[in-house]
Amino acid sequence: MTSQQRVLNILVEAVDTLTDDFDLIEFLHRLSLRCVELLDVDAVGLMIVDQHDELQLIAASDEKTHLLELFALQHAQGPCVRCYHSGQAQLNISLTTSAATAGFGPFAARARKAGFTTTHALPMKLRHQVVGAVNLFSTKINRLSASDIQIGQALADLATIAILQQRTIEHSHTEKAQLQSALSSRVVIEQAKGILSERQGLGLDETFDSMRAYARPRHLRLTELAQQVIDNTFEGNIAPAEIPERP
Amino acid sequence: MDMSATLARILRDLPDGSGAALLGGDPVRCARLLGVDGIAVSLGTDGAPTELVWSTPGQSAALEDLQCTLGEGPGFDAYRHRTLIAIPDLQQAATHRWPAFLPEAGELGLGALFCFPLHLGAVSLGVLTVQRTNPSTLDPVQTNDALILAAAMTAALIRDSGQRASFARAEPHTSLHRAAVHQATGMISVQANVSLTEAMALLRAHAYRTERPLLTAAEDVVSRRLHFRDNRDGTATPSGNKD
Repeated sequence: MTSQQRVLNILVEAVDTLTDDFDLIEFLHRLSLRCVELLDVDAVGLMIVDQHDELQLIAASDEKTHLLELFALQHAQGPCVRCYHSGQAQLNISLTTSAATAGFGPFAARARKAGFTTTHALPMKLRHQVVGAVNLFSTKINRLSASDIQIGQALADLATIAILQQRTIEHSHTEKAQLQSALSSRVVIEQAKGILSERQGLGLDETFDSMRAYARPRHLRLTELAQQVIDNTFEGNIAPAEIPERP
Repeated sequence: MDMSATLARILRDLPDGSGAALLGGDPVRCARLLGVDGIAVSLGTDGAPTELVWSTPGQSAALEDLQCTLGEGPGFDAYRHRTLIAIPDLQQAATHRWPAFLPEAGELGLGALFCFPLHLGAVSLGVLTVQRTNPSTLDPVQTNDALILAAAMTAALIRDSGQRASFARAEPHTSLHRAAVHQATGMISVQANVSLTEAMALLRAHAYRTERPLLTAAEDVVSRRLHFRDNRDGTATPSGNKD
């Protein structure tokens, strides 16, 4: 398949998924996986702004806790923050040169420790307002081509639309309320991961993939599954995921 | 987004609940900022937000009492389902939803109600309710200010965890967004056999006792260096193999 065809497939898949009660977290996770695949990077995270106007992680291509923590470090510093405040893509930032990482040294050090050498951030925009950023990491020196950037931006726009079209809040469709509701789904999933990992003796890093593997064939939203786990009404058996979906 | 000086001041005063109050700051000023006639915060006990801790006098306090007496109302639903509930016109609200509450709320002279849950994921702490005598919607700026306020109140209440007086060292609110904190909360709830809300309080109390940031304590739980044991008498004991 050419990359053009793959992009088209992803767009069709996305439009198909965005029905009334779609699973936002699953959707965003899949979008980050596609982003890894299409742009030939190694990790992708979607960050959106919270009530305090700081960036928080909503979904990532890889749910390992150390990676979640790396993204989380960017609430106040890093390329995503610059991208969010300027509305401009921050591209081809070398994590190994101090000039390129001036102003976010601690974040860059942590990213290098995780094995990354290049990072990029693309704005998540609705009309003229920026609501977050897509963060890309690569373990090799990598420059995004003009067409990579276009593809990345299209995926960023899709993520924005998905987040802002949730209909979970009665009579209130303000963007902040929707962003907050999305971030809250994320927290519920982390809480359920903790419970499941402890109850079923799973490693925390595998729990997310196991939850997905359980939820998908049953057409259960991840947040619904998480809620059942939390309410102790979940009676299924979540086995360790055999082969986590990898690009 | 530019935060007004008034809101900044209210946020600064919130965690400083001196005396008997859990929350600091002036509810009347807060109501004025949000362009509403009254504001109230009730905390959850036994699955419903029944403990009124902060409000403007009069209608708002009466509204919270009313929901407690009847055992139903939008505040209860916002708390249970952890979702924002907006009723811009009480006269137009579907009566089947709160059959006992709606007529009584009309009697109180209320026109519009907006309930914001105070929660962290599935940890429900309470509900913030603002009301107006005349039916109307909250505009986007007012909604956003109310959301900011609700988040700040949640942070202030989490921070409390029973030892507010000694909490000079404020927790950065961003730690409440960190994955490890929520994963640890889930793990502790299983280890100590308590609710998520209590698990969060245990974690918080441990961080305080050991004088470490919440996130560090959470990371210890997640990496299984720290464990909470159920004492089967309603208490839990942390134990860890320090490295």
